[in-house]
Amino acid sequence: MTAQKFLVINPENCTGCRICEIACSFEHYKSFNPRKSRVRVLKVEKMGVYIPNICRHCGDAPCMASCPTGAIYRDKGTNGVVINHELCIRCHQCVIACPFGAITIDPDTLDPIKCDLCGGDPQCAARCPREAILYIRGDRVGFDKRRRRSEAFLEVLSSIAGGGV
Amino acid sequence: MTRYKGYAGKYLRVDLTSGKIKVEDLEDSLCENYVGGLGFATRILWDEVNERTDPLGPENRIVFSTGPVTGTLFPAAGRYQVNSKSPLTGIWGHANSGGSFGPELKYAGYDMIIISGRSDKPVYLWIDDDYVELKDASHLWGKTTHETTDAIREELEDETYKVACIGPAGENLVRFACIINDYGDAAGRTGMGAVMGSKRLKAIAVRGSKEIQVHDPDAFLEVVDEAYRKLLVEWGYHLSVTLTRYGTPNLVEAINSIGRMPVKNHWTGYWEKADKIGGVRIRREYRSKQGSCFGCLVQCKYMVRVPSGKYAGAYKGPEYEAIVSLGSCCLVDDLEAIFEANHLCDLYGMDSISMGMTIAWAMECYEKGLITEEDTGGIPIKWGDGELVVDLVKKTAFRDGFGNILAEGTRRASEIIGRGTEKYAMQVKGLEISAQDGRAHQSSGLTHATAARGADHLTSLSCLEERGYEKVAASRYGEDKVQHLIDPLSTKYKGILVKDLEDLYAIGNSLIICWYEVGWPPVFYFDDMARLIHTLTGMEQYKEVRTLRLAAERICTLRRMFNVREGIRRKDDTLPERFTKEPMPSGPAKGNVCRLDEMLDEYYEARGCDKRTGIPTDETLRRLGLGDLAGKYR
Repeated sequence: MTAQKFLVINPENCTGCRICEIACSFEHYKSFNPRKSRVRVLKVEKMGVYIPNICRHCGDAPCMASCPTGAIYRDKGTNGVVINHELCIRCHQCVIACPFGAITIDPDTLDPIKCDLCGGDPQCAARCPREAILYIRGDRVGFDKRRRRSEAFLEVLSSIAGGGV
Repeated sequence: MTRYKGYAGKYLRVDLTSGKIKVEDLEDSLCENYVGGLGFATRILWDEVNERTDPLGPENRIVFSTGPVTGTLFPAAGRYQVNSKSPLTGIWGHANSGGSFGPELKYAGYDMIIISGRSDKPVYLWIDDDYVELKDASHLWGKTTHETTDAIREELEDETYKVACIGPAGENLVRFACIINDYGDAAGRTGMGAVMGSKRLKAIAVRGSKEIQVHDPDAFLEVVDEAYRKLLVEWGYHLSVTLTRYGTPNLVEAINSIGRMPVKNHWTGYWEKADKIGGVRIRREYRSKQGSCFGCLVQCKYMVRVPSGKYAGAYKGPEYEAIVSLGSCCLVDDLEAIFEANHLCDLYGMDSISMGMTIAWAMECYEKGLITEEDTGGIPIKWGDGELVVDLVKKTAFRDGFGNILAEGTRRASEIIGRGTEKYAMQVKGLEISAQDGRAHQSSGLTHATAARGADHLTSLSCLEERGYEKVAASRYGEDKVQHLIDPLSTKYKGILVKDLEDLYAIGNSLIICWYEVGWPPVFYFDDMARLIHTLTGMEQYKEVRTLRLAAERICTLRRMFNVREGIRRKDDTLPERFTKEPMPSGPAKGNVCRLDEMLDEYYEARGCDKRTGIPTDETLRRLGLGDLAGKYR
């Protein structure tokens, strides 16, 4: 089984506190500015719906394929898709190519900015108080959800199984 | 511009009469002496408003202020302050709200907005970083807070705009109208929404893309991590089974069990039906989603869904104070009606505490025959009628019929009606008493009597005795005082306690961080805050906790002087006779009265005030660098 870690989002857990956004901006700039955060929480306050949006680090990454200067590469340590800002020419082709809107533009430098997994310890996941963003091994992905969804069946099935005794 | 970090460094001055907007630099001295938020506003309102200012006149100021911590990673730094001379009480007024409006204002580059004047036509203030404009709001006048927020976001073509606005109640100058941001977070008390309405300012919409800098990022991160440890580990279990799980409604059962939950217009402190309106039931039957203010670890907000019936809908759930005021104080046990009444208070923009307590006053007066159907336009104002409460909320917001009297708040309404109804107005200095009872919890009576904005719980309410936090009490005030301090019915040392917490919460409201990590549970104290301030801002003098304590006293004393200037004296630091003369009729605190006089002298002494008048002494004023105020008031 793969020991590689993935960023996993559980929007049903998200409360819209945006700690992930300020943790991200602090990790990268040592200051607080959600508009420079690589993770953004989409908020529909009236409905109480909050959806964190962040780079999926796609296997076949459209941003990487579309970059004309080869500035986007896969990091060997984290397997994440990362921008080399030395090579970037700010054409924003990657911003256009990303199907998730997960690459945004730095309001000061106009650089395209995206999640770099904080080099292996993503702060959004580390600080999320409700496990709405997780950084977990591939073999654990979806496990908790499967477990939770199965609990109702477990109860019914065990009562049937126990009924004969 | 200030050299200190943590601040945005600039603030806005908006004069609505002339339409002029000015950007001003934040000065070092203001940061050093008054920290932020509440502190800033105290200084500004002292300087720019006076005893001749009509709260609803163009000369009044309304100050939206944030603190150095607002918008940072320190937990629960999502709040902002609104401060003004109150149209409900005529004295010092302020309110504090969560959501994410405060941080956004700082990201736009402003620590404060100071608003004066009165516009000819309805306007809203549009802030997009450096671009600031007053826009016509004629088309928004009359709209609810939800509709207004929706419409502005649509007009400005960005749903990430944070909007603080008033509803019809603010426009109609309901004395306890509030300001609503983020669809249901309220800067609730003392009628700040009416001040906005009087200025014809419908809303403030803001978005920002600037950064908040930190003086020493590594040291600051250590402070943040220590705060995380305290909240998630030390107090983690405590919070997870209370506030985080149930939100503040969890207090309904807890406070009822100690006999301190107001019932029937504060007649008693215990209700056998409390479970019907409690946090457990809400969670089990109505709670649909967990929510949170910006940057918070406690996450006490929640959504409710009423699936069917005449109150069907989904919205932010009510807080403890709203449930008590609109519920038990009116003997209403219909939870769905309480949800609806609270939701309408949010939509129309009204303080649910003052609303509920004013209805409760009318119910008691009706029962006693002091208010008749002649006054109410034929409506019987009977206890326990949830449908009626919902209806009266609507009538009040639009000043329709009897609602026109309720819209004045208990003090004014009882003066209008007369006939002895004043006796049943549960207010201090014009502000309706929040959901505590000094008979069951002596120090909360002292809080209600002395708080600057009137009978309020957030200025200095102690939870040390309410839950028996022995260790905390011992570490703060010494082993020798613990037995008295944690006994809710003892009056000894409560003056010292209330003064100390008044200072502490003043700093909490200046930084700004939430009461639910400073007040209850008692997680952060002066030493934590001093470390937080100097690592974040770089103000070296705050390495000394003494500096912070002095700043706290300075803010509280100047705020007290604001009221002194309005004519407030010791005689006004009082409670309705119900608390001091009528023994609690039932529940765990049965037989007790609030022995306010036993606590007042100690409080004035600790506060550095003259015991006879309640005015801060000249010595106190000089010690706090307010010497120019000495000798002015007798």
